[in-house]
Amino acid sequence: MKPAQTLELGDRRLLICLGPGGVGKTTLSAALALNAAIGGRTVDVMTVDPAPRLLDALGLTAGDSSIQTVALAGLGAPRGSRLRALKLDPKATFDLLIERHAPSAAARDAILANRIYRNLSTALAGVADYMAMEQLLELHRDTSTGLIVLDTPPAREAIDFLDAPRRMLELLGSRAVTLLSAGRSALRSRFSILDVAARAVLSAFDRLTGLHLLGDVQAFVGSFDGMYAGFADRAAQAQALIRDDQTFVVLVTTAETERIDQAIEFIEALTQLGLKLGAVAVNRLTAPLPNEAAIAGAGLPAALKRKLKRNLDDFSALQQRETSALARLRKNVPASTRLIAAPDLGREPRTLADLAEIASALYELSA
Amino acid sequence: MKLPRLIFVTGKGGTGKSTVAASLATALAPRRPTTLADLEGRQSAMRLLGANVIDADAAAIPANSRTDTTDADVALDFLTITPQGELEAFIQRIVPLRAVSRRMLRSRTFGYVTAALPGLEAFLMLERLRQLGGNAALNDRFAVIDAPATGHALELLAVAKGIRNLAPTGTLNRLSSGVEEFLFDRNRFGVLLTVLPEELALREALEAAVALRDRLGIECVGAVLNCVPPTLFMPAEIAKLRRLEAHALLAERRNAQAEFARHARRELERAAIAVAELPMLYQATLGAHEVATLSRRLATEMLPR
Repeated sequence: MKPAQTLELGDRRLLICLGPGGVGKTTLSAALALNAAIGGRTVDVMTVDPAPRLLDALGLTAGDSSIQTVALAGLGAPRGSRLRALKLDPKATFDLLIERHAPSAAARDAILANRIYRNLSTALAGVADYMAMEQLLELHRDTSTGLIVLDTPPAREAIDFLDAPRRMLELLGSRAVTLLSAGRSALRSRFSILDVAARAVLSAFDRLTGLHLLGDVQAFVGSFDGMYAGFADRAAQAQALIRDDQTFVVLVTTAETERIDQAIEFIEALTQLGLKLGAVAVNRLTAPLPNEAAIAGAGLPAALKRKLKRNLDDFSALQQRETSALARLRKNVPASTRLIAAPDLGREPRTLADLAEIASALYELSA
Repeated sequence: MKLPRLIFVTGKGGTGKSTVAASLATALAPRRPTTLADLEGRQSAMRLLGANVIDADAAAIPANSRTDTTDADVALDFLTITPQGELEAFIQRIVPLRAVSRRMLRSRTFGYVTAALPGLEAFLMLERLRQLGGNAALNDRFAVIDAPATGHALELLAVAKGIRNLAPTGTLNRLSSGVEEFLFDRNRFGVLLTVLPEELALREALEAAVALRDRLGIECVGAVLNCVPPTLFMPAEIAKLRRLEAHALLAERRNAQAEFARHARRELERAAIAVAELPMLYQATLGAHEVATLSRRLATEMLPR
């Protein structure tokens, strides 16, 4: 076991934490950010859905998505280092994006009030991912920031997040959307008979379901007309940033059987996207267990010794479960990717000191 | 606990939803024919039972497939419910021309339009649950649902109300009254929460119970407090371990978990939630054998003899 205290990030500018839900991605992101700040860097961490205690620890409040400076006093951070934290608010970010790119105030208001937009910005899977990317670009513009640590929305699939800009563009630029917004004459000349049939079916769907959406969809797509270029530009920048050499991607998981299955699926998806995975971090790994021999020589009542032995056996069984899951993971981690572990604190992190403890206890899982 | 015909199992991520769903279905199956259904497409609960599912590629599993167990004595079957599968079934129902409906479904834009709708797919999944619950009531069966984590589950259950407001007339409006009626019917539908003896999991369960009751008018059937460690050490014993620091820490950790489990039970009961407990299984593997152990325990905790 060798310590992996600073993840050896060098002067990398972006660290992205990906992973399935419920593995402690947000906690680990915050811990890694704090660790880098204590190491002397200027760091911004963007969290997605922090638990209340973590919000407290970072000095954030639930409703507020503005950026907050975290007080590092007493943690040994050198002068000039800095940690700022903010919480992702997909809806607010999307609204801001519309305001920026809308060609006129009327167009902006039309979009913000549109039923499709209102649902798109809260309900559509992928919008939160895309907005995380958008907020990332905003942070990245600020040159006073040395390192950005990005926590991502829990994803069933890794590519949900990394593929978000492309899918957003596809939605706005797709031929079928053009079809929806095109007038009747254009339809006759530019589109095939099948396209016309699809449109007829879509309106039949509209009528039968009683949703009356077609008008809203047309209005929405129409109002996006002058904004496509702006969005395309941002999406291209986001794509480039993810693939930049200065970007370090960490896949976070726990050693539970099911999470390991998901993690392996993530690795495959990332490899297929041609993305380099910097590290896989196994969170809340059972810490090394005490030595059994110590019990015998401790001069304790026999009954208590038996209990200690049983407790050790119980935890060993759990650790064995983790070990076999880890062995499966190891087989699927690319050679160039580091495999690290964060030991289980045995309690939920409540303070910055707890986060610092998690980050400094990271260790390399040897082969 | 008075169990409804369809039991919707949800809880915080990692609290053992699939394990509890698989164990409950196993406990029910010898009494009444039971369907174990999965809403996440991962089929975790089925895998725990060693069901024969294709594990290489989730997409290769046909949507809404039924996989029957090979065990002839126990009437347990599996069902996978996916948003895409329900949408396809619905479109094919309202657009009888197959060539046209297939073309629509292939269009990515159509996918985005339906995804941007306030939960059309989710609503169709609820409609599917209504059919499943209705069928269970009619044929004296049970259905156990391995549902998404609490946040997504609450959104899913809230969709019935929303869709009615959005569709003032038409097919969806007609379906939505049936779905709402189903969700309020305690004989047909109920939510079972899974909880771990951990602060965040407990908080999420308590909040979910309140949200279900106040926002949706749905009562939860109860909670399964999962992974409760059997108490092993007396405080006086731990005090004797000063010279074995590492062992003392391990003993304290176990005791703290057991203590928190007692606290969690009190808090849940204070919120008028019936609690069933499952022990922590200190086993190197978690599979069909362990699920059988848990199902026996659930049967004694939850089912009338």
